Amino acid sequence: MKSKQEPVLSLHNVGAFYKRKRGVFGEPFWAFKDISFDLYHGETLGIIGRNGVGKSTLLRIMAGITKPNKGTFVNYGYQVSLLSLQLGFIHYLSGRENAVLSGMLMGLRKKEVKAKMDAIIEFSELGDFIDQPIATYSSGMVARLGFSVAFQVDPDILLIDEVLGVGDAEFSQKSAKVMQDKIHSNKTIVFVSHNAVLIQQLCNRVVWIEKGVSKAEGDPETVLKEYHQFLHLA
Amino acid sequence: MKTARIKLDTLLRYNELIIYKTYADLRAETERTYLGFLWWIFEPILYMSVFYVFFELLLKQGTPNYVPFLLIGLTAWQWLKSCLSHGAETILGASGLMQHIHLPKVIFPIILVLTDTVKFFFILALLLIFLWGYGYSVGFTYLALPVVLIVQLLFTMALVFFLAAIVPFLPDLRFVVENILLALFFMSGVMIRSDIVPEAYQQYYYSNPIVIIIESYRDILMHNVWPNGSALFIIGIISLVGIWLGARLIARFEYIYPKIMV
Repeated sequence: MKSKQEPVLSLHNVGAFYKRKRGVFGEPFWAFKDISFDLYHGETLGIIGRNGVGKSTLLRIMAGITKPNKGTFVNYGYQVSLLSLQLGFIHYLSGRENAVLSGMLMGLRKKEVKAKMDAIIEFSELGDFIDQPIATYSSGMVARLGFSVAFQVDPDILLIDEVLGVGDAEFSQKSAKVMQDKIHSNKTIVFVSHNAVLIQQLCNRVVWIEKGVSKAEGDPETVLKEYHQFLHLA
Repeated sequence: MKTARIKLDTLLRYNELIIYKTYADLRAETERTYLGFLWWIFEPILYMSVFYVFFELLLKQGTPNYVPFLLIGLTAWQWLKSCLSHGAETILGASGLMQHIHLPKVIFPIILVLTDTVKFFFILALLLIFLWGYGYSVGFTYLALPVVLIVQLLFTMALVFFLAAIVPFLPDLRFVVENILLALFFMSGVMIRSDIVPEAYQQYYYSNPIVIIIESYRDILMHNVWPNGSALFIIGIISLVGIWLGARLIARFEYIYPKIMV
């Protein structure tokens, strides 16, 4: 068991920009300019901020998908992944094939996905439909499969962007429930949202990002209070 | 020691992913139509028939054995062409996927080349059946066929890597590629014999690797002579260097691609 004081990821004055014109040309615009915080083992860190403050870009940096343009980001050797639903799904393939493909894309080995297949089928409640092409599924069924696969992927650090529960009302509750159980467990999780209530419920610690800068960091109550005060002033 | 193990694990995982994704893409293609994978056979049959009817039956071309000559060229050309025109868009096309996971981007062109190569093997089999039906027989030189296939595969792979690497930055290039391919088609001896090319241009003509590759197929399949080994060797080596450089180029932009294609 690692001590809680040992960071698993660190960000120091991290900034990232995009180019205005198609990709490489034109002026840079900064998604964020100066973000610093550490992520510790076993905690659930909430990141709160209004829309368009670069939360998704921040997650991409933490997941090792892109690199920051300034500052330093350190991953102390952990496997980080973004919770992605229906990743790489192909319309014409069966639920089972899509589960294997999606699981493999998210970092599992083929035999690992196959070992988890029963759990996936059970959780998604797809039954015999699992061997039908997902083109024949309702959108709710695809959502159920997507969630069930993504949930089986178990990285050291899980990054969650807004979504907890998916699918129709019933499954949405069920998926949100297991997600919350996972968050409450000893897993290291980063949860990004603009929903203060959820953040308050789920997180041990919160970082608030405003205008591309990490403005406050600390226990949820204090940070969220500041955030609310700011929103009312703004 | 531990990092070496992790590296090996990762490499194995990517290999497995490449193979499964290739399988998945091929299967998705067969599922899209009623006849499924039979189209990989019917389509080339229809395609070859058009040439057969036109050149052999209608035009009664003066050159003897023009149809086998042409079909060999077309078969090899189609393989290269489909890899290049599809392959150019592979990294660009994976932009959605790469917002969610980190994968070495070189995986995407590799998957495409494998997919198109599997389909090519169906066409190659048909071509061989046609040639045997036409009266050509299997000779010793068939032993060199795998070598020519591998050289073409390497050559294709190198070109696809470069194209796939650049297209995300210059998507407009895709429209140019089709026309460059058309020009290349006329310059690669698919339809014409090399002795038609004027003496003065022969040297340039033969500096085109595709000319050498296509002639190698004809040497083996029609004339039962050994292909030009040293030329193939040189193309193979240059292609390997090209693959290495192309992969380096793609790796150089590894973290840029997800950013430019949001």
